[in-house]
Amino acid sequence: MMKFDTIIIGGGLAGMHTACRLQKSGQRTVVISKGISLHKPDFSEYRSLGGRILMGDSVIRGEFEGGNILAVYTENLGQNRLEADNFILASGKFLSGGLVADMEQIYEPLFGLDVEYDRDRNHWFAPFDEHQGFMSFGVKADELSRPFLNGRIIINLYAAGEILAGVDPTETDSVGKILAHTEAIADRILGNA
Amino acid sequence: MYDVEQYDVIVIGGGITGLGTARDCALRGLKVLLVERDDIASGASGRNHGLLHSGARYAVNDPESARECIRENKILKKIAPHCIEKTGGLFITLPEDEDEGYGLEYQKIFIDACKTSGIDAEAIDPVDALRMEPSVNPALMGAVKVPDGAVDPFKLCSANMYDALLHGTTILPYTEVTSVIREGCSVTGIETRNTHTGERASYRASVTVNAAGIWGHGIARMAGVKIEMCPTKGSLLIFAHRLNNVVINRCRKSSDGDILVPGDTVSVIGTTSTGISYDECDELKVTAEEVCTLMREGARLCPSITHTRVLRAYAGVRPLIKSAEDATGRNISRGIVCLDHSERDGLEGFITITGGKLMTYRLMAEIATDAVCRKLGVPATCKTHRAMLSDPLVPRHSESATDELICECERVTFDDVKWAVNHLGVQNLEDLRRRTRLGMGTCQGTKCIARAAEALARAKGNPEETRELIRRFVEERWKGMTSVGWGDSLREMEYMQKIWKGRYAETAEK
Amino acid sequence: MENSLDQCIKCAECTVYCPVLKATDSYPGPKKAGPDGERLRLKDRVFFEDNLKMCLNCKRCEVVCPSGVKIADIIQRARHRHGRPIPGIRDMMLASTDLTGSLAVPFSGIINPVLKNGAVRAVLDCTLGIDRHCTLPEYAQETFESIFKKRFSRQQQSYPRKVNYFHGCYVNYNYPQLGSDFVKLMNALGFGVSLIRDERCCGVPLMSNGMFKQATRNAESNVNVLSGTEGPVIATSSTCLFTMRDEYPAVLGVDNSSIRERLTLAVKFIYESVSSGKVRLAFREGWKARAAYHVPCHMERLGWGIFTLELLGMIPGLELMELDSNCCGMAGTYGFKKENYGLSQQIGSALFSQISGRNPDFVICECETCKWQIEMSTGYKVLNPVSLLAEALDLKKTAKLNQPALP
Repeated sequence: MMKFDTIIIGGGLAGMHTACRLQKSGQRTVVISKGISLHKPDFSEYRSLGGRILMGDSVIRGEFEGGNILAVYTENLGQNRLEADNFILASGKFLSGGLVADMEQIYEPLFGLDVEYDRDRNHWFAPFDEHQGFMSFGVKADELSRPFLNGRIIINLYAAGEILAGVDPTETDSVGKILAHTEAIADRILGNA
Repeated sequence: MYDVEQYDVIVIGGGITGLGTARDCALRGLKVLLVERDDIASGASGRNHGLLHSGARYAVNDPESARECIRENKILKKIAPHCIEKTGGLFITLPEDEDEGYGLEYQKIFIDACKTSGIDAEAIDPVDALRMEPSVNPALMGAVKVPDGAVDPFKLCSANMYDALLHGTTILPYTEVTSVIREGCSVTGIETRNTHTGERASYRASVTVNAAGIWGHGIARMAGVKIEMCPTKGSLLIFAHRLNNVVINRCRKSSDGDILVPGDTVSVIGTTSTGISYDECDELKVTAEEVCTLMREGARLCPSITHTRVLRAYAGVRPLIKSAEDATGRNISRGIVCLDHSERDGLEGFITITGGKLMTYRLMAEIATDAVCRKLGVPATCKTHRAMLSDPLVPRHSESATDELICECERVTFDDVKWAVNHLGVQNLEDLRRRTRLGMGTCQGTKCIARAAEALARAKGNPEETRELIRRFVEERWKGMTSVGWGDSLREMEYMQKIWKGRYAETAEK
Repeated sequence: MENSLDQCIKCAECTVYCPVLKATDSYPGPKKAGPDGERLRLKDRVFFEDNLKMCLNCKRCEVVCPSGVKIADIIQRARHRHGRPIPGIRDMMLASTDLTGSLAVPFSGIINPVLKNGAVRAVLDCTLGIDRHCTLPEYAQETFESIFKKRFSRQQQSYPRKVNYFHGCYVNYNYPQLGSDFVKLMNALGFGVSLIRDERCCGVPLMSNGMFKQATRNAESNVNVLSGTEGPVIATSSTCLFTMRDEYPAVLGVDNSSIRERLTLAVKFIYESVSSGKVRLAFREGWKARAAYHVPCHMERLGWGIFTLELLGMIPGLELMELDSNCCGMAGTYGFKKENYGLSQQIGSALFSQISGRNPDFVICECETCKWQIEMSTGYKVLNPVSLLAEALDLKKTAKLNQPALP
């Protein structure tokens, strides 16, 4: 068993940004990252603040109770329960495995969260330089960025970054938007908002 | 006025049939011009299985095709070893075939038919079949070993082009025929337009050969004659790596998705067969239903395809000649059709060669060239059944310490690029892909495209072109990926979008 | 056959983090040697390149890969499948730790000073190709197995809870102190220790020298012997553990499913026992130290560095610095070889300079070959976390806390 204040799933732009912010504010956090993000984050600052990184590890399941997520388990840590008060899901879109598409459907593989996408594959793709439908698919969330599981909000889980429905990382101002959004989540967790 | 050049023969169409005909004519000492509206092998010749048929597939229902195939199979193995992989093939019988009357009794009929056509076919134990090809469906009840193989259609086209060039042929890619010149009851030449520059020209010849595949219908119309074709689309899927080392077929009536062919670094499953209109031939789409059919049927040949990444989907149009009422085109004769329009339509100097298949291209070329020589009164005879095809490519994977690696997936080097530009008529990245496999690998060019465009522009001595080369290539690769946009291919597509969307301008500056 | 090579989207992150590629360009790098090369090798084995042996099998490529491609496994399997090793006497000697160790220990009094002698090292350099700059690890006066039999074995029966200890060649022939520390620590925590009957080298030096057949024989024997045991099988070496747990099935194709779940590492076992309340720790009063933690490559791949950080974080007097994740360059016996010595030093240089920059009292690390390399290259002493814990704990008090409650 390991206990943290906040567990961040995904070590990309959104994940590392929130993790650093929370760790700096005195929280005990851990980042679970399936490999290095293409955003090439700098871990040394986070590490020097005492942040823990589980690099090359992935969440295999979560434990839920009464609308809350209590703990997650990872591939490498096996039976060790990772507990936290809050969780941030910043696992990205398809490329980093935050969403998975097979021939039948699109799903969020860690918790099976509700995903917003167009069932008609003909709307997924357009000529290369035009807007691509599939780049805006993602998990459904309320106005506080809390995702849904079978239609019900998970109170202490926040979706951040590209995994959110409506966030298209190929839009020109996407980085700024994502960072502003993660700030808001961090504020909420720290009780500033 | 334009320059008017006089040739013995003009060949229209840079597919394998046209290239083979141009080469055959050149080997017989004729002065040849070949025009192609796109790049060589950009139509059906580059959009097929790459199956070196043994003929077994046709043995029961079309013995004539079967005999042609096995004869050409042996010839190609001799004259073009660099284009061929002698993989061998299996025709498997599955438990479900029994219910449809294609059980082991049919296998006997099949073997007998093969033997009658001179095809070496031998029933082997399922255990031995699994040993020979471990990826084959382990549920198989029976298997027949035949001399199928793989032929690289791009290499085969390049080789014919290269050999024709070496024998004095003029080859003009990106040259579209705008009209066929008629003088009275004779075709005397063509008028053309360069599709890049818009430049127009006209060429004269005693004989014009229409070898434009499905587009031969339009060429004939320009000449004022009518041929009824039956455009039939066949769709295929490419897997990300080589799954099998032996061709796998179903031992039953030909149907959708019943052949899995290993070719170079990949495996290809196909095909479907759907009648389409002439208008659709230029914008072929692989539908979701076709993809599902191919995945479902393919899994019966080789179950592991279900978990294998599909790189892309593509389709070609078979240039079949209408003979029977069959909407699918599956039972239409795939035999060779050579029309001498003087006999048929009273039009001199014009020949159409069509039907057939990649496998029998050499024979088609021989038949067409015989007809040309008859018209010209040239006594020369065919040599292509014994004259070795030149190897058009610098040996692939020739990475030396000093050579710069451009495409990492398919290991294409800068020397390969330079050679292709200097000797194989490469103008853009798609041409380069057809000559060298550049960008055909796992990443579909995502990783190497800037390097490749820069190398190509450098080899052509025209660095300003980089941006346009990238744009065209990305758009073309993207199209083939959209039909199979799931799993790891969708991940690659997201990566491609993130790297290349709206980035052509930046690359040009770098 | 798994299709993990298809998951590669060619982002080339593995290439960025490959320690070998950072030091030389004569290695094709993990992407080209791994998933790219495999596609070509599936077509024709002529695409197998001998320089694949330059892969250290540090697994850093797999850790950073965002696509879950088992890059190093692909490379090692290709070496296994296509490589034709003709090991010379040096590679045989470095690879066969069991044999060399059991021959050397009885004569360690003679061998150790001889191996330190400059002239001898020059001769080894010229004749065997063992670089003269290398300090070969000293052999122990007595094997750990023999020490255990004499000093520890009898009392182990008195503990109700039992663990099995896979000590590995290094503890047995070179550094029995670590084995003794482990036994004392486990005893204090209330566990009796049994050694494994007929333990063989895990096989890692054999694999890195291309001797896959012998490695497979060792693996089969170890799996067979271990499946006859009960309870956890604990190692102090991260590399031995990683090899038996993950490389046996992935590279050697040896099925270890009967024992895999029971294989664990000392730090993980102790952390889990403490965090679940099964054991309690009492630390020495007034003990203080500054240590730098180097996460060995295979520990990084296991993802278990966090257990060491959390466990050592419980020691009140310890100031613990986590070093940046880097390979030390030794990779088993790689760095001893004359042809690799320079490269090996270059690979490790980032780590070495960070250590001297931090100037700790000592370095913590679970891997013996990292220990050789760091001690040889920086002069700093390297301790296994087990030894550190044994030193920082008040073993008597701890033993009392963990005494089984009387019925």
